[in-house]
Amino acid sequence: MKNTDDIDTITRSLARVEPGRPGGQASDAGARTLLASITATEPGPPAAPPRPYRARRLFLGLAVAATLAVGIVVGQGLLRTGVPPSYAVTKDSDGVVYVKLRDFRDAAGLTRQLQELNVPAVVDYVPPGKMCREPRGTHVEDIPPGLYSVPENIPGEEGRGWQMRIDTRLFKPGQTFVWTIGEQTTTTILMTGPIGPCVLEDRPVQKEVKPDYRLATVKGRSLAGLRVDEKTVGEVLPELRKRGLKVTFLIMEIAPGNPGGFGEGPTRTTPVGDDWVVWEAEESIRERGVIRLLVTDKRYDRNPVYGGPRDNVIKE
Amino acid sequence: MDEERARFESVYQETYGLITAYAARRCDSPQDAADVVAETFAVAWRRIHDLPDGEEATLWLYGTARKVLANHYRGEVRRQARSVELDTEMADLYGASPDSRVELSAITHVFRSLSDDDRELLALVAWEGLDRQEIATVLGLSRNAVRIRLHRARRRFARALAEADVRFTSESRLIPAERQL
Repeated sequence: MKNTDDIDTITRSLARVEPGRPGGQASDAGARTLLASITATEPGPPAAPPRPYRARRLFLGLAVAATLAVGIVVGQGLLRTGVPPSYAVTKDSDGVVYVKLRDFRDAAGLTRQLQELNVPAVVDYVPPGKMCREPRGTHVEDIPPGLYSVPENIPGEEGRGWQMRIDTRLFKPGQTFVWTIGEQTTTTILMTGPIGPCVLEDRPVQKEVKPDYRLATVKGRSLAGLRVDEKTVGEVLPELRKRGLKVTFLIMEIAPGNPGGFGEGPTRTTPVGDDWVVWEAEESIRERGVIRLLVTDKRYDRNPVYGGPRDNVIKE
Repeated sequence: MDEERARFESVYQETYGLITAYAARRCDSPQDAADVVAETFAVAWRRIHDLPDGEEATLWLYGTARKVLANHYRGEVRRQARSVELDTEMADLYGASPDSRVELSAITHVFRSLSDDDRELLALVAWEGLDRQEIATVLGLSRNAVRIRLHRARRRFARALAEADVRFTSESRLIPAERQL
């Protein structure tokens, strides 16, 4: 093998712009135009504190159980009680509605506000341990991309509610957003046709079971420091094998339009294709040395686990 | 607000040359490089509150550019009107491409066969001249992880060069003296 200096020298020779030299000049016309066009807009607000991953996973897990990827369920980790009752619904000139929800009792008030802004929505309060009896209507399978965002923390108010964005222009006639809100879970499901009333029934207990797996790629876990998200199975497997880990695959089910979140398909121990895409790695809580890769057979435009880049959610 | 604008403009002035070089070294076309530059600075403006001061700003921008580039390859960065004007200026950087020389095109080929991660590590050392700690900051890794990965990346590159039977008649022919850092 060539020595380190040789390798670095060879690499240096490949640089299109010589090392040590600048590319463009900030004083060039194009550079000045770019600067002006960027700063012509307002800068972004201070970043929201990172969302607790635990809550997100719960939301994903419940989304599977309750609605299999056609709705959104927010876990209780995001929602705490003891805050001033309030919600805010605003609409911009493009027809995009922003909903901030901090209180879950005044479902009627929220319904009214949403309807005033032409968001066809039905909202019911669901106390902890309860759910609305299903089915209440026909779930829409083909959700237009961009119709709504995954609920997120309200910037600066972590754990005190959530906000989401709804593009009212994308509703088709006869479609209704059916929400249930509560301290424990919130679901937003797009339905079409008549919607039945919410008849409360006990929520099955097994949905609160402790998970078998947890995120493996954060500090203090078995794959701390290793990034697997958005890589191919072929890129990730050799490293895991080298570490002597047993690998299983959870095949994710992605809703049309990849709105964020995923359904849990079968878990298999036999290999999937090397070109499959890994979105995250989890470790077994009960059995050391077992890793479960969350995979899909093709690449999506954004990471379904996080509704976007992992870096937007996990900052460490 | 004006304070933020002034801070951003000062970072822009200081780092524009570095970020354009970074993008041009990694993109095959001036258009791609212009997109990456425009999007990287647009992200920095949107996230001005996360943008650190001083030297750290450069490292932060390299890290951001790297993510923008990755998204670009996945076709997620759409052409922005604002980067079109940059194209011509970036195109100047593509005139005398080093891989127009025969020996280098073979090496370029081998280099491109490496994984993205390996290439980026080697490039951050050789092209941007970063040390391990700086690379650790850019990539969000520990210094030790950088050390180990860099060692492996160099080894893999050396092995791939050997396998591809890339030979050098003399180092001096390959590396013009003025390119030495």
